[in-house]
Amino acid sequence: MMINPVLLKEIKVKMRSWKAVGIIGGYLLILAAVALFITYANASDMYSSTINPQFSIGAYTGIAIIQFILILFIAPALTAGAIAGERERQTLDLILCTKLAPRSIILGKLLASMSHILILIIASIPMFSIVFLYGGISVVEIAQLFGFYIVTAIMAGSIGIFFSTYVKKTIAATVLTYALGIFMCFGTLFIAVFYIRIFYNYNYQSYFPLFYINPLAGFSSLLTEQFGGQYGGILNMIPGLYMVNPLNVKGTAPWLINTYVNIGISVVMLFLAAIKINPTRRGIFFFLKRK
Amino acid sequence: MLEIKNLHKRYGKFYAVNGLDLSIPEGEIFGFVGPNGAGKSTTMKIICGLLTATSGEITVDGVDALRHNNKIKEDIGYMPDFFGVYDDLKVDEYLDFYASVYKVKDANKNKMITDLLELVDLGNKRDAYVDNLSRGMKQRLCLARSLIHNPKLLILDEPASGLDPRARVEMKAILRNLKDMGKTILISSHILSELAEMCTSIGIIDNGKIVISGTVTEIMQQIYSKKLIKIKVNDKLEEAVTILKEFPFIDKITTGENQIQAAFDGGEEDMSRVLYSLVTRSIPVATFAQLDGNLEDVFMKVTKGGEEQ
Repeated sequence: MMINPVLLKEIKVKMRSWKAVGIIGGYLLILAAVALFITYANASDMYSSTINPQFSIGAYTGIAIIQFILILFIAPALTAGAIAGERERQTLDLILCTKLAPRSIILGKLLASMSHILILIIASIPMFSIVFLYGGISVVEIAQLFGFYIVTAIMAGSIGIFFSTYVKKTIAATVLTYALGIFMCFGTLFIAVFYIRIFYNYNYQSYFPLFYINPLAGFSSLLTEQFGGQYGGILNMIPGLYMVNPLNVKGTAPWLINTYVNIGISVVMLFLAAIKINPTRRGIFFFLKRK
Repeated sequence: MLEIKNLHKRYGKFYAVNGLDLSIPEGEIFGFVGPNGAGKSTTMKIICGLLTATSGEITVDGVDALRHNNKIKEDIGYMPDFFGVYDDLKVDEYLDFYASVYKVKDANKNKMITDLLELVDLGNKRDAYVDNLSRGMKQRLCLARSLIHNPKLLILDEPASGLDPRARVEMKAILRNLKDMGKTILISSHILSELAEMCTSIGIIDNGKIVISGTVTEIMQQIYSKKLIKIKVNDKLEEAVTILKEFPFIDKITTGENQIQAAFDGGEEDMSRVLYSLVTRSIPVATFAQLDGNLEDVFMKVTKGGEEQ
C-alpha cells in the first residue's frame, strides 16, 4: 500500500522542527500541572484515610477539560496554514501539476495534522493513569473521550483546511478558522439563549438543535453522561443544554449526535476544499451544466 | 509533441491569451519570448493544467491536454518562474518527495535522484538543506525536480531569471544536455538574445498571441529584408564609401570612426565582388562581415507592432 506522499513529507518536516517539540512539551507541561495540582489538593486532605472517588472524577474531568480546550486551540493552528502556507511558499503549483489528486493533497495535509494531535493524545495517556490509581473511570469511558477528541480535532482541522484553501494568507485563514470556532462554541450559545428566551420563555426541556455543532456542548454532554447525569452542574442553567439527566433526552445521546454532525461538517469542508484546490475544476454543480 | 490552436484565456474583458497558435516538434528547444504580461506564463500554466483555457485546443503527444489533463501530467515537467522549496527538507528528500508524488518506483528512485543531482551539478549537496542553497543552486534543483519523472516535454518558465552570469551559463549547459537527451523543451524569457543561442526555434508573443516564429535566421530575414554588412578600414574611409556606392545592391551607407555599415541586398558572389574591389583598390580593410542584426531591435520592432494593433 502506498502511503500518501504529502502525509509522509508533512510528518517528516513537522516532527523535525522545534515547533513540534515545543507544542508537545508545552501541552504535556500544562496537563502535568493540572494533574499535579489535583493530586496535591487531594493529598493535602491528610486526615482522610479512605480513597475518595470524587478525586478520580475530579482529576478525570480536570484533565479532560484542559486537554479538550488545548486540542480545540491547536487543531486549527496546525491546519489553517496547510494550503495557504503552500501558496505562500509557492509550492502549491508544483504539487498541483503532478498526478496527485486534489483530494489526496487535502487528506494528506489533514492526516499530517491529525497525526500530530494523535501524538498529543497518546502522550497524555500517562496523565490519565493517575485517574486509574483511584478507580471510578473505566477504559471504555477513556476510549469514548479520546474518540470524541479525535473527531472534534478532525472537524476543527477540516475547517482550518477549508479556510486555508479559500483564503490566500495563512494569518487570514487562521483568524477566520478561530472566528468560526468561537461562533460554534459561544455564538450558538448566545443564539440559543436569546431564541429560547423570546420564543419559549426559558421553558425549553430539550437539547437545542444548534448545539449539535457546538463542540463544548457535545463535550459537556459526554462528560455528563459518563457520570450518570450527576455532574451537569452549572451547565444545566444554560437553556437548551438540557443534560441534567440523560434519561430525559430521548433517543441517541447528544454527544453522539454531535460526533455524527462533526463528521458531516468535516466531510463537507474537505469536499469543498478539494474542489477549490483543483485548478481545472468545473464548479461544484458542474454536472447540472452538462448538455 | 506540442500543438496549440487558437488558445484563448480571458479574465473579465481582458484577454491574457488571445488566439495563440504554436507547434513544437519532438526534440526541439522552442524559445517563447515576449515582454512581461504578454501571456507566456499563462500559456504555460494552461498547458500544465494549472489554469483552465477559455477556448482553444492543446495536444501533448497527441493527447487532448484540456480534456484529459491528468493523462498528460506524467509527460510534462514544469518549472515555474519561482522556486518553491520547503524549509526543513534536504536536497535528496525534496526530490524523493516529488518522486513519490509522481509515483516513481522505489527501485528506480535512488538512482534517478543521484543521476539528476549529477546532471544539475548538485551531487555534493545531497544532504544539504534546501533552504541553505544559493539561488542558482535552488534553480537547478527545481530543474532536477521537474525531471524526476522523466517527462517528454519540459516547460521552463524563465529558468535563468535572477541568476548571475555564471549560473546562467551553467543553466544553458544543462539545457543543452537535456536537448541531447531528446527532450522537447518550451522555454520562456523576456530576453531574446538569451534564448537565441540555445533554441532551435523561437516564437515572439505579444498581447497574448504569437506575432512571429521560426529560427532566429528566419525571423531576422522576415524583419530585415536586407542583410547588414560592416566594414572596418584602417585608412581611406571616404574612398571606401565611394567604392561601395558603385554597387547597386548596396545602400543606406553610414559611417563611424574607421568603420562603415550598409544595407546589402545581394548574394555571396556579390559580397566577394565588393571585398575584391576594396582590396584591389588599395583600401586597407581590417574586417569585412555580415551582421546578424540586433536581436533586441527585432524584439522591440515586433512587440511594438503588436501594441499598435
